Formats: sequence, C-alpha cells, structure tokens
Amino acid sequence: MKRRNFIKGFMSVPAIAALGSVGISELLAKESPKKPKGKNAMSFKKALEIVTNKKGAKDSDKVKLTVPEIAENGAVVPVKVSIDLPIEEVKSIHILTTKNSNARAVDVFLTPKNGKAYFATRIKLGGTQEVVAIAALKNGNFIKAQKKVKVTIGGCG
Amino acid sequence: MAKRKSIIKIKPRKYKVGDIVKVDFIVIHPMETGMRKDKKTGEFIPAHYINDVKFYFDDELITKLVVWETVSTNPYFSINMKITKPGVIKVVYKDNMGEVNEKSKKVKPKG
Repeated sequence: MKRRNFIKGFMSVPAIAALGSVGISELLAKESPKKPKGKNAMSFKKALEIVTNKKGAKDSDKVKLTVPEIAENGAVVPVKVSIDLPIEEVKSIHILTTKNSNARAVDVFLTPKNGKAYFATRIKLGGTQEVVAIAALKNGNFIKAQKKVKVTIGGCG
Repeated sequence: MAKRKSIIKIKPRKYKVGDIVKVDFIVIHPMETGMRKDKKTGEFIPAHYINDVKFYFDDELITKLVVWETVSTNPYFSINMKITKPGVIKVVYKDNMGEVNEKSKKVKPKG
C-alpha cells in the first residue's frame, strides 16, 4: 500500500509539470507574499492606470511586439517593439510586465528625430507572464499589444 | 565615481544622409533589484540600477528613457535615428546611486 502511494505521489509531479504555465504560475502566486517588496513595487493594474491616465488601452495590430515564446533564462528576455505609424503620431512607448513586482520596465519618450517608432531592450521576468507594449499617440489614444512568455527558470531572484 | 564601460554601435555600419539607422547602446552595470540575497551573509543586496538614459545628437535630445530595475544586467537599449548631418551622438546615463556617466560617438555619413 505504501509503495502504491509513493508511486502515485511520484506520478503527480510530472502531471503538475504537464499542466505547465497554470501550475507554475499558481505556485509563484502563493510564494509571492513571502518575498520582500522593492521600493518601486507596483502592480500591473496601477502601472497601467498611471501610463494611460486611467483611459485604458486598445488592442491594435499596429503595435508589433517581438518576444520569445519560451525563455530558457528569465534573466535575459529580449523585447522588441515597433509601431506601424508615422513618428509624428507616436509620443511614447511603454513596456510593462504583468507579474513582476515592479510592473514597469522602460518608458521611452520619442521625438520626431527618431525617424521611426522602434525600441529594443532586454528585461528580467520573474516567471511565466505577459509582456505588454503600450504606445501613447499624439491624439491622446493608447494602443497596445501583449504576448505571453513562458519562463523555465526565474529571473528576478 | 566608478568609470563604467559602455559601447555605442550604429547599424548598418555604412550609411548616408537621410537614412534611418539603429543606434545600440550597451553598458556594463549590475542592475540589482534590491530583492536578491547575498548567499554568504543572507542580507539583501541594495538596489542599484540605471534609471535615466538620454540620447543626444549635437546637444539636441533625441530620446529619453525612464528605466526601472526590471531591465536585465548589462542593459541594452536600441533606438532608431534619422541621419541629417555629420555630428556626435552622446548618451548620458544616471543610476539611483547618483552616478552620472556619458559616452559619445561620431556620426560620419558617406555620400
């Protein structure tokens, strides 16, 4: 009987692993209160409110966000954003993450001298989550694109 | 004030007036989040990250970045720039401990 239980327990580990993102993200959510909060800790909701001035952003295919689907190392995740609009119409680009303790990554304030709305960098991800790129337009609207990145090793220790 | 290593690269290497080029900027910096523990002493390593980067071309501001600790160690930033004339690209970067450094590179368009 003991042996059976042992095998059952053993089998459930791969089952959790098979669940993948859901299982891992739940575990991370449970662990997160233990972690200390940095000075700049900010939830994604609040960051979104600050960036978009409580207006919210619309999904748009004009924002092209390039991130890897699976990141082997969460400490270095390349992010590339380009916006299919003339530079005169784009004011700024904001890169946010949904589950890092500080949701904000980079705010880019562009000028017409850039020629094209483009930005690339590398960020840390503490676990499987979504990367969101928001573009603020001159007419006061906000457009966004978001993509999920699966992280196999944590980044924000 | 520690002197930091940094690189500015312009891609592609050959460009003309009127081209839109990529300006890559890399700096060697620890980018500590302040949430990581020292494995030996068990104390938190204080936060140390770049929080402000400005790209200038001939003292005119091209792009301003507000950076948070989410950005990776040895940060890499890439922007686009339209070449209008020969000049100097200057990048000024500051971190939360008050370090201010800068790096510049000449722009020499051909043809």
